[in-house]
Amino acid sequence: MTYFFQLVVSGIVVGSIYALSALGFVLIYKSSKVLNIAHGQIIAVGAFITYALTVWMGIPIFLSLILSMGATFFLAMSVERIFLRRLIGEPIISVIMVTIGLMSILDGLVYLTPFGTENFSFPVFLPSTPIDLGGVYISWTQLMGVIITIVMISGFSWFFKKSTVGISMRAVSDDQLASMSIGISVPKVFGLAWATAGLSAAAAGTIIGNITGLNFDTLHAFGIVVFPVVILGGLDSILGAVVAGVIMGLIQQFAAGYLDGNWGLNGTAEVLPYIILLIILLIKPHGLFGIHEIERV
Amino acid sequence: MATNRWLATGNYHISYQDEQKIFSTHLDRSIFIVFLSALFIWPLFFEVSNKFMLVIDNIMIAVVAIIGLNIVTGFAGLISIGHAAFVGVGAYTLASFSRVLGDSNMLLTHAWPLMIVLSGLMGAVFGAIVGLPAMRLKHLYLAIATLSFQMIFQWTINFMDFFDQGQTISIGRVHWLTGEVARKDHYVFWYYIILVFIVLCGFMVRNLLRTRYGRCLSAVRDNDRAADAMGMHPGFTKVYAFGLAGFFAGIAGALHAYLYRGVGIESFTLHESITYLAMAIVGGLGTLHGSFWGPAAIKVLDLQVEILAEKAAHFLPASMNLATALRPFTFGLVIVLFLMFEPRGIANWWRIVKSYTKLWPFRY
Repeated sequence: MTYFFQLVVSGIVVGSIYALSALGFVLIYKSSKVLNIAHGQIIAVGAFITYALTVWMGIPIFLSLILSMGATFFLAMSVERIFLRRLIGEPIISVIMVTIGLMSILDGLVYLTPFGTENFSFPVFLPSTPIDLGGVYISWTQLMGVIITIVMISGFSWFFKKSTVGISMRAVSDDQLASMSIGISVPKVFGLAWATAGLSAAAAGTIIGNITGLNFDTLHAFGIVVFPVVILGGLDSILGAVVAGVIMGLIQQFAAGYLDGNWGLNGTAEVLPYIILLIILLIKPHGLFGIHEIERV
Repeated sequence: MATNRWLATGNYHISYQDEQKIFSTHLDRSIFIVFLSALFIWPLFFEVSNKFMLVIDNIMIAVVAIIGLNIVTGFAGLISIGHAAFVGVGAYTLASFSRVLGDSNMLLTHAWPLMIVLSGLMGAVFGAIVGLPAMRLKHLYLAIATLSFQMIFQWTINFMDFFDQGQTISIGRVHWLTGEVARKDHYVFWYYIILVFIVLCGFMVRNLLRTRYGRCLSAVRDNDRAADAMGMHPGFTKVYAFGLAGFFAGIAGALHAYLYRGVGIESFTLHESITYLAMAIVGGLGTLHGSFWGPAAIKVLDLQVEILAEKAAHFLPASMNLATALRPFTFGLVIVLFLMFEPRGIANWWRIVKSYTKLWPFRY
């Protein structure tokens, strides 16, 4: 039974990281209907900036996390400004391909730095003995990751519910024409959506980097793993991203814990999300919490 | 009206049959025939190194794959981020024969044209299965479905003992009329075979686009509700577009397997899928000859970047591997620049050149 609870705990940890990664993805999709395939790269860049600031410049990690969130805020905003703004109204394939091109460009830039080829790990700043919850263990780093995720997500929820900017972003995602007519600058909102996505990406990257170590491949793979999460949750639902993130984390941990090694299966955690994705697309394409507005043939 | 069948300065079609013609003038036809025969005979006159021939073979295999991708993404307007997986299905069809029967079985070495077509059919089956969500979904969701097929394919190969966990599975040398194809003739031999397949595929697609089924594809792309109203079945059309794309991809995969005499997962990853998409876009989506420009442009660019990186490596510290950084960077930059400034691809430049020479030397 403790094995089961151990899996639940690690599932929640992984799931909360997925939730945070998916959050940025959903923010961009919700406001501008852009599928950002380069999200994993932004996550990686955020993690690297935090590392560089903490280790190379000697800034305390929480301060450097905030600084790197600021950096990706402007990175993502300028990406939107330079590449995507002029593609508003272009066919969907152009927009998707631009984010793919962006992914390649960021890949190239990262490979220029040492982070592209070498592995780094964050200095340990929390106690290394895990917390014992009656036989179930959770490390301090993981706990910190979950806490930061919860804080970030509740912060975002508050932002979208109460602040004027957040409300205008929701308005744009609801109806662009109507929000233009009441004086909301739609391009500015697109930029802001990208910026907030960049901000959450840096946080996600830093948490992942702390838990698994800094490896470019692992980090940017999160940009692809968010697809099953956001489809399960519904492409345009922030609540969906959170719930689906945790569900996906649990499914992966259970698969790794119970399926692997039996019946000749191996590495099921890697493939199960995509199989679930295909099934959801076939039977319930709008996901758990998405708006039931799928364009059908 | 007596029209000049050799030269024309514009379109003077007076019947629908006229408009359906592939070659509007005799000059077009003769240029095409000369060009095609030149492609067939040049290896007889020029001695080329194996390395150079391999590059050309690679480009041509990519052309076959891109013809398929152009059907689904260019003509039918459905984004496929899993094309390399379909190519992989073709290649791994051969690989499974090789695993079951041994790599020098008669079926693989003697009946290879049959095997190539079989791989194509296998690709078509998988294409149609992955296309099934297209019955209900559009655009983004479909792109994600193909992406997940790519991931599932990679996992299947990487974790199954039958496929040797993605390690290279070898395939024997093929036999031709005169016996086994020798090592030194290998690349030239496959040059001819791939060329024949390209010509066949090219004619097939060119003719497909003149038929009801081909026009169905672009009708569904442009407006599927209108297409529905005119009696077409958009869902079925999409599934069949995916099937066709899978067919060409499968053929490309089989050719790839034979050319390299082995199948390994690294040629069919997500990155390759993205490269195929980039080729299709740089070449020009929705044009047949774009399928030829795109692969050539991307592969040549890749080679040039590699040469450049090698040269620049002398001036840089040894720890920096410039090639790994420059390749994705230029690749991404080319995609983005094309999308922003020439979304219709190189095919559009070709169109401009063509319309210019049509009127030359009499300009407006």
